[in-house]
Amino acid sequence: MSALKLHQVSKSYDTGPQRLEVLREVSLELAPGAALAITGPSGSGKSTLLHIVGTLDEPTSGRVTIDGVEPHAMSEPELARFRNDAIGFVFQEHHLLPQYTVLENVLVPTVVSRRGRDGAAERARELLDRVGLGARLEHRPAELSGGERQRVAVARALINHPRLLLCDEPTGSLDGPTAEKVGALLFDLHRAEGNVLVVVTHSRELAGRFERRAELRDGRCYEA
Amino acid sequence: MLRGLIHYWRINLAVVLAAAVATSVLTGALLVGDSVRGSLRALTLDRLGRIDEALVTEQPFRTTLAEALAPFEVAPALLLRGAAVQPDTGARASQVAIHGIDPRFLALYPAEQRFDLARREGQVFPSLALNETLARELGVTAGDAVLLTFSRPSRIPRDTLLGETDPGDVLATLRLQVAEVLPDRGVGRFGLAPRQQAPHNAFVELRQLQRVLQQPGRANALLLARGGNPGDPQPALRRALEPEDLGVVVRSREDRVAVESRDFVFRPDVEAAIEQAARDLKLPAVPVVTYLANEIRLGERSVPYSLVAALDPLGAPESLGVRLGAGGAPARISPDGILLNTWTAEDLGAAVGDRVRLEYYVVGPREQLGVEQVTLVVEGIVGFRGLGADRDLAPEYPGIQEADDIASWDPPFPVDLDRIRPRDEDYWDRYRATPKAFVALATGRRLWSTRYGAVNSIQLAGAPAESIEATAERVRVALAGRLEPEAFGFRFRPVRRQGLDAASGATDFAMLFVSFSFFLIASSALLIGLLFGLGVEQRAREIGLLLAVGYPRRRVRLRWLGEGSLLAAAGTLLGAAGGIGYAWLMLVGLRTLWIGAIGSSRLELYVAPSSLLLGAAISIVVILLSLLGSLVRIGRVPCPALLAGGFRGRERLRRGRLAPVLAWGGLLAALALVATALATGATESPALAFGAGAALLASGLAFFRLWCRGSRGGSLARGARALAGMAARNSAWNPGRSMLSVALVASACFVIVLVAASRHDFGDELRDRSSGSGGFSLLAQADVPLHQDLGRPADRGELGFDDEAERALEGVAFYPFRVLPGDDASCLNLYRPEKPRVLGVPPELVERGGFTFQNSVEPPDPGRPWSLLELPQPDGAVPAVADANSAQWILHKQLGDEIEIEDDAGGTVRLRLVGVLAKSIFQSEILISEAAFLRHFPDRSGYGYFLIDAPPERLEPVSGALESALARFGFDAVTTAEKLAAYQEVEHTYLSTFQLLGGLGLLLGTLGLGVVLVRNVMERRGELATLRACGFPRSSLVGLVLAENGFLLLAGVSIGSLSALLPSLPRLVHVPFPWTSVAGTLGVVLVVGMLASIAAVLGTLRAPLLPALKADR
Repeated sequence: MSALKLHQVSKSYDTGPQRLEVLREVSLELAPGAALAITGPSGSGKSTLLHIVGTLDEPTSGRVTIDGVEPHAMSEPELARFRNDAIGFVFQEHHLLPQYTVLENVLVPTVVSRRGRDGAAERARELLDRVGLGARLEHRPAELSGGERQRVAVARALINHPRLLLCDEPTGSLDGPTAEKVGALLFDLHRAEGNVLVVVTHSRELAGRFERRAELRDGRCYEA
Repeated sequence: MLRGLIHYWRINLAVVLAAAVATSVLTGALLVGDSVRGSLRALTLDRLGRIDEALVTEQPFRTTLAEALAPFEVAPALLLRGAAVQPDTGARASQVAIHGIDPRFLALYPAEQRFDLARREGQVFPSLALNETLARELGVTAGDAVLLTFSRPSRIPRDTLLGETDPGDVLATLRLQVAEVLPDRGVGRFGLAPRQQAPHNAFVELRQLQRVLQQPGRANALLLARGGNPGDPQPALRRALEPEDLGVVVRSREDRVAVESRDFVFRPDVEAAIEQAARDLKLPAVPVVTYLANEIRLGERSVPYSLVAALDPLGAPESLGVRLGAGGAPARISPDGILLNTWTAEDLGAAVGDRVRLEYYVVGPREQLGVEQVTLVVEGIVGFRGLGADRDLAPEYPGIQEADDIASWDPPFPVDLDRIRPRDEDYWDRYRATPKAFVALATGRRLWSTRYGAVNSIQLAGAPAESIEATAERVRVALAGRLEPEAFGFRFRPVRRQGLDAASGATDFAMLFVSFSFFLIASSALLIGLLFGLGVEQRAREIGLLLAVGYPRRRVRLRWLGEGSLLAAAGTLLGAAGGIGYAWLMLVGLRTLWIGAIGSSRLELYVAPSSLLLGAAISIVVILLSLLGSLVRIGRVPCPALLAGGFRGRERLRRGRLAPVLAWGGLLAALALVATALATGATESPALAFGAGAALLASGLAFFRLWCRGSRGGSLARGARALAGMAARNSAWNPGRSMLSVALVASACFVIVLVAASRHDFGDELRDRSSGSGGFSLLAQADVPLHQDLGRPADRGELGFDDEAERALEGVAFYPFRVLPGDDASCLNLYRPEKPRVLGVPPELVERGGFTFQNSVEPPDPGRPWSLLELPQPDGAVPAVADANSAQWILHKQLGDEIEIEDDAGGTVRLRLVGVLAKSIFQSEILISEAAFLRHFPDRSGYGYFLIDAPPERLEPVSGALESALARFGFDAVTTAEKLAAYQEVEHTYLSTFQLLGGLGLLLGTLGLGVVLVRNVMERRGELATLRACGFPRSSLVGLVLAENGFLLLAGVSIGSLSALLPSLPRLVHVPFPWTSVAGTLGVVLVVGMLASIAAVLGTLRAPLLPALKADR
């Protein structure tokens, strides 16, 4: 069974007299543990596709299945719970909560988790260790560099053992070497956690690391 | 600019509405002031009809004076005060203004207000018209009977030997039939003194009152309508007045002219004027004091009830001399000497050189009759010649002069008729009131002076070659030029102008309502700033772009200032109209809910354009100041940040030392104040409660700030507790906004709760002498002053107290005060008191002490605080005491300030405040010593105000006995607790008003919190979107944001309320606290605050969050 399946997913917006087609019948299928890089020019619908996959947005038509479940058919609370359980996000902007420490930021998704908090702190520490921030647990985001913040965001995305790790331009705001490190980290963790990794990126270097690559052009998906 | 305004119409409309609220409240408050003033002016014009000036005297005068004042339109009237009783039901009313009027009075009012007092066919008793208020009090309608009781005017001061004090002589009663009940407006509201409450008015035909007072053709008031005539009526009045009108009677005797006082004695200034007139006319003059000796005794022999004349006889002319023997030399009298007439000398067997003893009555303190004696040496025996034979030398003694024989004497003092011998009757038959003895004038003055004067008459010799009548006429003319009518009360007062001046009010209701609405105005201003700021932040990119393309920051600011000004102008215009509505609403409140503050439902809305303009101008300034913060920030945010859509950098609290100092210092200060209160027993002091509360408030807010600064630790919990924890942590992250919100809510709650806790109901503490009651349980006032000592059973018997009443009064102590009627100086009077009521404090109270001086100069005797009233003032001012509240808020005077009032001789007396009393029963009056009172207001005899020390469990029987026995005097007793409560009611009403408007302000403030919330949510959209991405359901996000706002609201309400409540707890143990209304106010604030937050959060979160997650958002 596919871990992630998109079947003829389309997304369009009403913009007055015209209808803006962002995605046109995009279909994809990823097996458990697979990794996919999605590239494409600005405005090609990469983020929209990622948001639909991450259940933050709904397709206008088509179907998304994650581990055989159609999340878009769920109610908002169920969907939120599903997202909390099954999906981890990393955005170009880290969106860390400035009022919390590094450790707390990683723990934020566990606040509404069904799994309980047992062992959450240990896992957070372990993840932060793995991303190289084991010594910065009590620091606040403002005290970290851009790359470090993004690594915290990665740890946060993985705290609930998501089956799907979605990254939207995770290295877009980082310099070359840092982007390289973060990219490598993502891969390492993906392999270690065994989840499905989908990354939207402009970066050819990052995309080059993926065995599967797809490109969005005019709303259509072309897998390389 | 216009397109920008239109594009962002929602937020701009909100700014306009907030500006309109601020303007409405401010302008409305000013209009409340206008309306109170306007209403008071209208009441003044309404009650006076066309009356411009009025003259009221103590003694009645000829009504024909009115005609002499043409072309002015003048109505004579008898204006009296008294009591009314409905004889069938026994319903009573005191403080009744009884007006004896004729058609000339009614002509001063519009035709539709006039009424007819003519007796209807078959009507037995004369007609009475009374106003609605009095009719309601008595429960009468047309056709019912009413008894009016009032004081008879007395030319002889009642507190002198010959003054009538018997209730039957003092009081007159008239039975009348109600012909008409007049509405409480126009003539039905007639009264010369400004007051907003409807008076108890009774109108009777002038001639009916004249008849019952035995004053035919006389009145005591002239009411004058100028009718457009700008002249002064006073010169015409002076011309028309004759010495007789002023109580100075010029009589032609056989060989001299006698100038006599109709008031029994001449005031010193009048005596001086007559002597000066005599000197001017070159007429020899002999002032004469006559007195009644109860007894002239020599050894075992005595002569009862003899008139003694004190004079310095002249050698020539003979008419002003006293001759020794049958035809001997002119007599002289030394200060210790006495001359007896031959009849008396013979009766006593006295010879020159004998020492005779005179016994006579004196009127002592409290108008009690006492007996004194003096021993004098017989210096001569005089014959019945010259003044020695004058049976008219003595003034007309009431009850004596007209008697056929001594046995028929009925004087106002006790006479033992058993002592009258046939010989005495014989003397009376032959010589009538011819003096039996003569003493020196100085001796007479020394022994028999009253505070009114001593001399009864001045005898003037006839001029040579002129008839006595011609001399008398010249004396009359000379006196007319010498006597000042104004000194006798013959002065027209501009009652209309004074009333209109007084209508400017003692209390500035405009400022009062501006203060009451302070939180409302402050909240609106805050809301304007927040909303405008929100609008500016929404357009951060636009601002950034303008700066990026080269617009100078100044120009960008000006552009936004322009937009802000347009919004302010629109809001102000809308608010000016809203202000009229707000004022109308406040007036409805004052007429109904808060009627306790004004005591009148006659308040109308008056809109002064000047107030509208002023309100609008101030509002524009307030609004623009509110916008200023946002405009300044435009200049501070870097252009790239603006282009990225940000407006506000993350806040950081400076780690100053002030917060910890304030936190711990405030706490310690509060503890110290509480400890002081406990140590000094002042646990109920409002000042200490406020001080400790304010310290706690500052401490609480500082602790909150410290918490914001230090709230960084702790791990995240799970579930609802986690959300609450996150909310608290998030609140701390924006300390500036959080502090602003919490401080606003806390301050408003503090004031609202403190104000509610300041309410004071009086209880057992009033038994304490240092309390506002002075330890007295009852306070009484009489419309007709009493000349009896209520503390003496004999006097009470004279007043008609029966045995049952006597039993009720056992052990009850009375402290009587003399009263100079005047304006109420308390908060119960909306008019500015022109001439406050003055009380003469009896020496007994000075000795007893009581009450608490809030502030005073050093008393001469520190052990007797009331000795302040005896403090000599080098410049002749009179030391005076007033209630602190009345002095500050109504009279607008401080310690050392002076209040000028007119004395009985038409001069000015300066009352200097030497002490102010804390929350006392004396809020309506000024207090001076009885001695000073008698010195400056000698014409006010009797006692009209009483403090009564009665056992608390017998207040009803005591007041019942007094009111019932003294109903004719309009005697009205209330408990001191009731009196204080009446004053307190005004304060309570103000507190309620403040509480309500403060609550509204707080409510508006919570809307401000909603705006703060929206701004927070807008700024944190990325954060919230991330949380959603992390699996936080929308409900959790809403809950999180609401919890943040609820936390701030609760923190504010708790800090404010507890700070106010904790120090007030000792008082609240036994003083009722309006828990319901305060909890209601705060509850409504919380609920509305939360509802506003829900609306704000839902509105904000409904917008898609996803764009916030994008890098290029």
